[in-house]
Amino acid sequence: MNKKSWIQDLKAIPYLLPFFVAYLLFTILPIFKGLEMSLFDWTLVRKMEFVGLENYKEMFGDPHFWRTLWNTTLFVILTTPTMVALALGLALLANIKTKLQTFFRSSFFLPSILSVAVISFLAIFMLQPYSGFVNTVLHSVGIEAEPFWMADKVLAWISIVVVTLWWTVGFNMVLFLAGLQDIPDSLYEASEIDGASRWDQFRHITLPQLVPIGKVILLLQILASYKVFAQILLITGGGPGGATRPLIQYIYEAGFRQNNLGYAATMSYALFFILLILSIIQLRNQRLEER
Amino acid sequence: MKKCLIFSVVLSLTVLMLAACSSSGGSGDKASGADNGETNGKSDVKIPEGATEVVMWNLFGGGDAEYMQEIIDEFNESQSDVYINNVMQDYDEYYTKLLTSVAAGKGPDLAISHTSVLPELISQGLVQELDSLGSEVGVNWDEFNSNILEATVYDEKHYAVPIDTHAQILYLNNKLVGDAGLLDENGNPKIEETPEGFVNFLTTLKDELPDDKYPLAFSTAGVDSYRLWWSYYTQLGGEHILSEEDMENPEYILDVDKAIEAANYLRGFYYDSEVVPLNLEDFYTEFQSKNAAAISTGVWATGTWETTEDLDFSAMPVPNVFDQKGTWGDSHTFVIPYYQNADPEVQKAAIQFMDFATDKGAIWAKAGHIPAKTKVIESEEYEELPYRSEYAQVANYVNFADHTIYGRGVQDIMVRNLDLVWTGEVTAEQAFKTIEKEIKDLID
Repeated sequence: MNKKSWIQDLKAIPYLLPFFVAYLLFTILPIFKGLEMSLFDWTLVRKMEFVGLENYKEMFGDPHFWRTLWNTTLFVILTTPTMVALALGLALLANIKTKLQTFFRSSFFLPSILSVAVISFLAIFMLQPYSGFVNTVLHSVGIEAEPFWMADKVLAWISIVVVTLWWTVGFNMVLFLAGLQDIPDSLYEASEIDGASRWDQFRHITLPQLVPIGKVILLLQILASYKVFAQILLITGGGPGGATRPLIQYIYEAGFRQNNLGYAATMSYALFFILLILSIIQLRNQRLEER
Repeated sequence: MKKCLIFSVVLSLTVLMLAACSSSGGSGDKASGADNGETNGKSDVKIPEGATEVVMWNLFGGGDAEYMQEIIDEFNESQSDVYINNVMQDYDEYYTKLLTSVAAGKGPDLAISHTSVLPELISQGLVQELDSLGSEVGVNWDEFNSNILEATVYDEKHYAVPIDTHAQILYLNNKLVGDAGLLDENGNPKIEETPEGFVNFLTTLKDELPDDKYPLAFSTAGVDSYRLWWSYYTQLGGEHILSEEDMENPEYILDVDKAIEAANYLRGFYYDSEVVPLNLEDFYTEFQSKNAAAISTGVWATGTWETTEDLDFSAMPVPNVFDQKGTWGDSHTFVIPYYQNADPEVQKAAIQFMDFATDKGAIWAKAGHIPAKTKVIESEEYEELPYRSEYAQVANYVNFADHTIYGRGVQDIMVRNLDLVWTGEVTAEQAFKTIEKEIKDLID
């Protein structure tokens, strides 16, 4: 019996190996290569001298590192709660049994299938001053202002957050939708007999039942938001004057524009470390609850 | 047994795939000088029998790419000893790719580089000096415009063959400028070349033209504003941000007073005379759709305006409003990547092509660029091209970026901080304090 399952396990190896080789080569190996790089003075083309923790020391004293890390964190703070709330709201809306159900589901999900370049150029098209859609609508309802949605440092953040929500909310909505459909009907039927109102049902059945999937979404969202880069680069370029520049853009600039791959690797490790800690906290929480 | 077979098939497929991945990037195998007339496995280009293949990488797009291909085709047809195999690369990742692949010995035989990136290539030992090979082939360096050529010379050695300079200039919409009464009887714009004179020209446009027409289409952020700032800094007599004696260890020598004056002058366009609409997303479109009376950008736009229907425009240097003539500019150049065991035949062939291509500057000028060889500028073929002669003289006084390895890093810092001046968040004085600190950190 034991021997048989051992053979069974062995049979899995040929199926796993191709992926594992690629994974080893393109994910695991670069992780260690990056660690090595962060300990060296390393240009785009060659390894220079060993500098130990010098890069890390520089990083802790680098105001741009802290500024861009804060920008990224601000993005996480702004998008995560709004994303969870919006995804939940849309999922509830798309779960109502009406003729429009399919329409809701597909239209909420549609933006998610577009690439970042497409959504960024759509955003620019909508938000640009003078001739953009948003400002034209404002003018047509009699508002004479000319808000600079991408060039004002406060409005730029609002624009990026709204565009990101619109773009990625669909995926989270689907997760919530799956969670909603997993709630047994018997719970609602029983509560109805007990005389619960719609609000009571939502408050005491729907919400508690959605907590586990909500936590998954929260973690995924935080991790994804910390990696924000492309849409900011394309919409504001990190501007005005670096006000929206995220950490990954700074890493890119340090590595490929300033020819300092060693330092870029160091900052990548800082980001990696932050994500690692967040994941551990989240996983530990989950395990505590499961006990 | 059968499973073992499947397993080994899968494994070998994986290995094959990985092998294919790692070899597809190297299109410049050095040993392939003389080809046997078959496709050589690296690309599907047919190399003529007995010809030396020279693999060239370029970063051009649009009209630039077209005219460069035209020159290459002409060269390939003009003789049968050398074949230039032109490989187009994506502009955004071009230098990353060039630097890393040349360092790995897998780059091209011939490449395009901007003058401003040359120091990085030289300092990393990635490009070949061209003097000895050049004299063998018979390159006459005196044929080149000295201002353009000097920007490619390091330690008295030639490292590149300049193709052109592409400078910041000014374009006018003749109809709108005429409507505002600013053309004289010969159709020339009435611009007095003083700081106030040029602003007056723009404010007159603003006053005379309907409200939906802009006096000057320009950007309020990014690299364009930086270039115009650099032009005015130069006109005020400012020459450098960093010293050029030692390209790897430069000193910060920005003339702060002139830098501030130039920044405030440009800032005035946005906030004092209000002749530039703020935060235009795409200022090219405004000029192209005849919504703007003027635009300041690089000479490469000439080709674009020319092909725009009913756009009656003229081109001129950026008005020299301060004491000296000056404008921003960069150059496209040819370089030969350095490899330890390079084939001299291929390298000689590459230089032969460089000389040919720069002789054909009139074709290149169709894109708008100012050719690097003086004899081309003086040629009839060039003079027959419209617009180009109006601004060809700026080649003599274009101020190139400082010769240091920090060119791109410095530009990023300048752009980011000047952007804050253009949005009105900080004063020019504050911006240059931050710039000084950031650049000193960078070059430290």
